[in-house]
Amino acid sequence: MRIFEPHIHMFSRVTDDYERMALAGVRAVLEPAFWLGQNRTTVGTFVDYFDTLIGWERFRAQQFGIHHFCTMALNPREANDDRVNQAVIEVLPRYLEKDGVLGVGEIGLDDQTKKEEHYFLAQLALAKKHDLPVLVHTPHRDKKKGFQRCIDLIRDAAFPYERVLLDHGNEETIKITRELGCVSGFSIYPFTKMDTNRMVAIVKEYGVERMVINSAADWGVSDPLMVPKTMVKLEQAGLRPALIEQLVWGNPVAFFSQGGRLDVARLEQPANIDRRQTFEGNSVLRGQDPDA
Amino acid sequence: MNVFDVQASLRALLPAERFLVFEELRTEVAAGGVKALQVVLPALPRKIGREQLPPELALEGDVSVDLGAWRACDAAALELLHVAQAGDDALRELYAHGDIEERAMVLRSLACRPVSAGTVALLGEVQRTNVQSHFEAAICDSNLVARSLGRAGFAQADLDRLVLKAAFLGIELVRLFDVHRHANPELSRMLQDLATEREAAGRAVWRDTARLIARAPTAGTLARLVGGLEHGDDGTRLAAAEGLDALLSRDRSQRDELHLYLRERLPREPRAEIRAALERALAR
Ligand SMILES: [Zn+2]
Repeated sequence: MRIFEPHIHMFSRVTDDYERMALAGVRAVLEPAFWLGQNRTTVGTFVDYFDTLIGWERFRAQQFGIHHFCTMALNPREANDDRVNQAVIEVLPRYLEKDGVLGVGEIGLDDQTKKEEHYFLAQLALAKKHDLPVLVHTPHRDKKKGFQRCIDLIRDAAFPYERVLLDHGNEETIKITRELGCVSGFSIYPFTKMDTNRMVAIVKEYGVERMVINSAADWGVSDPLMVPKTMVKLEQAGLRPALIEQLVWGNPVAFFSQGGRLDVARLEQPANIDRRQTFEGNSVLRGQDPDA
Repeated sequence: MNVFDVQASLRALLPAERFLVFEELRTEVAAGGVKALQVVLPALPRKIGREQLPPELALEGDVSVDLGAWRACDAAALELLHVAQAGDDALRELYAHGDIEERAMVLRSLACRPVSAGTVALLGEVQRTNVQSHFEAAICDSNLVARSLGRAGFAQADLDRLVLKAAFLGIELVRLFDVHRHANPELSRMLQDLATEREAAGRAVWRDTARLIARAPTAGTLARLVGGLEHGDDGTRLAAAEGLDALLSRDRSQRDELHLYLRERLPREPRAEIRAALERALAR
């Protein structure tokens, strides 16, 4: 079964992870632009990071047959940092036109400040302008209130719910989101936050409609194989394979196709490095006789 | 510079509706210039397609390009760079902030543009890249490298380092049009050192080594060429035989000694193509 991993930060992972993910069935990854563990002090480091996401990181993924996509954004934490926040908003439009950029994200709230709200709204406007869905990071602290605040801001901005993925959800937030029409994301971690057993219980209660799961693996304690591991638990719990496939492939592909840039037919094959195929030189024209 | 007619090529290659998309983008970029191209370029592989053009050697002035290495989107990008009147600054900027496909398209376009300071700068970029598809897009399937030699910032040593990188990556010499004309003893030394290093590690040696070193021998060249005649790999033996033929065609001072080895190998050589090369060398 193929897997579309809809939230993982490969920038901070090693090639072994790509290899293990490919072996476990991961065909495509979506890497949201995020906070790198410490604040950046100039916009230039954001630009370099964005260029890495659409260039070098994509090349790394292709070497293992994995299609690499991303979402671009000013993340909520650095939305608080006046050295960079406005300047990043100004460079974003160009990156939001890149072909492998399938959404705006991670945006949302972290510490739930006024500045975070300001840049969240500014980026919802960018998403509308560039016709893209949004990947929303919800706070890990005071989650329920922050979750509700994100939803209020989205509603007030009249941003269509079906183009919103509210990520890092749990048993409490699913009660809020299931009626809204947005997609609920669950980040499965090895020790903290959401784990595989709780995820199985959520799927048993609510089904898989408008739901995606991810590892959100980054430079912290996390596991890039959390999606395949959760699939095994779901199967053992008796969930039909068709529903598992919907959860790990159909739903994320449908969500990120909304911007019109995801070429689903290309996902049928593993990614390959776009190099000219040569077979013992017979597809190559010689500039001239080498002995001339 | 009009190395090939992009519009005619795309019209022949693409379904009508996709060719129409190309024409619309062309109009958009003609009006909006480089700013418009920044938005249009990333979408070209998806909107125009990745089909290969049919193999054809395009020749114009001092340019030669194998169009079979080009995809529909590469050809479209060349045309759009032209109508946007993208100069060196634009080219470098599009490369610097381009995704993996955009960079490949920008690099491939160099083969059909006049050599400029921007060309030299981008050749420097690919000399340092680890993305092999980018190295190939710039270096292979045209005579760009040979054509750039002598420009400010691109001297013989720069060409040598690109060739060494091609050898390192195992790229066939025939894809580096005209480069063999610029063989020199320093490049031979570099290639022989690489070969020695690979042999010590038990790894394969670039087959085309013999073809280049034979054109500019240095210490150790003759022994490597003669030794290549006994190699277990057909490609390596063929390159050694062709290299010795090339060597004898320009320098007959060691003709008798070399003929001794060629005659010794000939009756035991199982491959007809290699026997023919040995016989050519023996006729020198
Ligand atoms: Zn994240």
